[in-house]
Amino acid sequence: MPPKNQTQRIDELLGGVTEELLLGNPQQFEDNSIRVERLLLEMVRPDPVQPRRVLPEQLHFAFHSNRLTPTQALKELVQLVQVAARQRGRPFNNVLELLPNPDDEGDEDQSVHLSPEEQLLHDLVNLAITIRDDGQVNPLTVVDVSQGVTQQFRIETGERRYWATWLLRDFIAGYNSDGMIPCIIIPAERSSVFRQAKENTARSGLSAIAMARQSALLVLTVHGYEIPPHAVSNDFYRQALDLDLRGKREYTDTILTAMGGIEKAQFSRIKSLLKLSDEAMELADRHNIEEFRLRYVVTVSAEYHAEILRQIIDFNLTAKQVKELCEGNDLQTDEEDSIEKLPPAAMKMAKVTQVVSTLTAQDLAKALMLQEADPAIARARLQALRKLIMETEQFLMSE
Amino acid sequence: MTRVFVFTNHKGGVGKSTSATNTALGIAGMLRRAGASNSRVLLIDTDSQAHATLVTTGTKDYGTDDSLYTVLMADRQNAAQTLLNCIVPSTWDADLHILPASPMLEGAERELMGIAGAPYRLADPLSRILNRYAAIVIDTRPSFSLMTEMGLIAATDAIVPVEPRYLETVGLMSVIGKINDIREGWRQPNLRVSGILVTKMNTRIRGHNHLLDELKGHSVLGKLLLGVVPANEAVSYAHQNHQSIFNYDPKASASKAYAQFVGKLVQRIAKGGA
Repeated sequence: MPPKNQTQRIDELLGGVTEELLLGNPQQFEDNSIRVERLLLEMVRPDPVQPRRVLPEQLHFAFHSNRLTPTQALKELVQLVQVAARQRGRPFNNVLELLPNPDDEGDEDQSVHLSPEEQLLHDLVNLAITIRDDGQVNPLTVVDVSQGVTQQFRIETGERRYWATWLLRDFIAGYNSDGMIPCIIIPAERSSVFRQAKENTARSGLSAIAMARQSALLVLTVHGYEIPPHAVSNDFYRQALDLDLRGKREYTDTILTAMGGIEKAQFSRIKSLLKLSDEAMELADRHNIEEFRLRYVVTVSAEYHAEILRQIIDFNLTAKQVKELCEGNDLQTDEEDSIEKLPPAAMKMAKVTQVVSTLTAQDLAKALMLQEADPAIARARLQALRKLIMETEQFLMSE
Repeated sequence: MTRVFVFTNHKGGVGKSTSATNTALGIAGMLRRAGASNSRVLLIDTDSQAHATLVTTGTKDYGTDDSLYTVLMADRQNAAQTLLNCIVPSTWDADLHILPASPMLEGAERELMGIAGAPYRLADPLSRILNRYAAIVIDTRPSFSLMTEMGLIAATDAIVPVEPRYLETVGLMSVIGKINDIREGWRQPNLRVSGILVTKMNTRIRGHNHLLDELKGHSVLGKLLLGVVPANEAVSYAHQNHQSIFNYDPKASASKAYAQFVGKLVQRIAKGGA
């Protein structure tokens, strides 16, 4: 870099000429408007702290730490999906095979339940084909973060279109474009997490976990935390769990508006999802599990989160079932497991043993007849009870 | 559209590199002064002697993997990214970026000769990053080689520096003819001869005055005359110190002449027209 006084000397020299030669109309250079330009694909990069993630966690971090190029990241994704698809008995060699064949008759494909990774790649391929056939109609929104000779633009919205364009360029035949992508360029000074949050929540499909990350970014920002320019772990977002909006009342409305006009209580519930373990967050994000099903999971010990999430996914548990699962069984304490997990009927039988001296054989026989209405069945019940009592006695003796 | 100025003349020593480097710096400084949102200027050195590279970056140690040679040899698909990777900052100004030359460019001409699309190996990747710069300035070598053709094909405005001497003025006509050939033959309708810059003018030499008067009086060339830079030893000393003429001696007559010339180019950039 030249010394500052040298730059000043040039400015002084050229300054007089400018006023003379620009005919007093320098305003024509002062173009600070938002503009749409076609940018080289390589000059555009996704935002590493964008709450809405496109790539699976592992690839997300590898890509943002520059261990993978965009093409390599997509190659890894395709391989990941190939493994998942093969396990489900629908292997493919070319990504285009993920799309339904228009020549096939019947609606068999429509009933196939795709894994999140398969669904992701399927959607990207679909988008890529649309871009190939109809062009990129909707430009990306990017922020100019160029520094010196390094020219770079950070994606604010449109990461899926970015990956679809790479997929089209390197994995799908028939790409004839020049490697450019239309972008709306936002000057760096106009970019903010609030703007990004509004853009995100204005669109559908933001998962509960993405909303939780979004809430964390907003809370951290108003508390003066610097948002790093590189990929961050969930622990970065979890710092927001220790912060609230009590001391930042002036930002409350702005934050709630940026989050899509939600209530304060809902904001707290969303933010508390950051208590989920890393694995559970990844599962919940990938499978787009809603907040109303996740809110009960955060009440139990973190070591159970991933397992509960798997059950939610595998059995498609309702919010009520998740609540019962989390509240009915106290998963927080291991020592009391043996008592707490006993069937309620056993507990009732144990209670009955305390009052057996107050009963007569006649009373019990009448009650059994009232319940079963058949002496044979009543006797069978007593025999089963007798067997249970004998086995219980033996168990207690061995203890 | 970003204007791409190419300084060309197949006669050596007429001040192509001096004019290209100082013009590039002048445009960046003047645009910044005018408050332009983008005042970045890219200087591309296509001369294997790498004089423009040397004075603007302080070194000419660029080779197979960090110079224009690298861009020309890259795969078509990766050429634009390679170009971005090879651009270096100038020691003169933060807004002046350099795509350095390398002695390897001599060999590149031979390597590329006969390869289909070779003349477009600069224009093609450059067109993809064009809008990142307010202006681009290309310095060419003193010959009509493949490298010079590449520079002309990538350009929108050809500026011809010329010394006010008889043979140089004769040569000027062939330069203009060559540029017209490229515009018509290569179907480059955006390329035009935008100006003539008279350099090393010495008013004490009668022949110089005579030729300048003739140039001014010419019906076509007179309109193309954009500036007259006097012969000035400050230019030589500025080179020796790896400085621009504006930095070395802002009060020198050459500095003022270049500033006037740059002003006219900036005016064109602002208007976006001829």
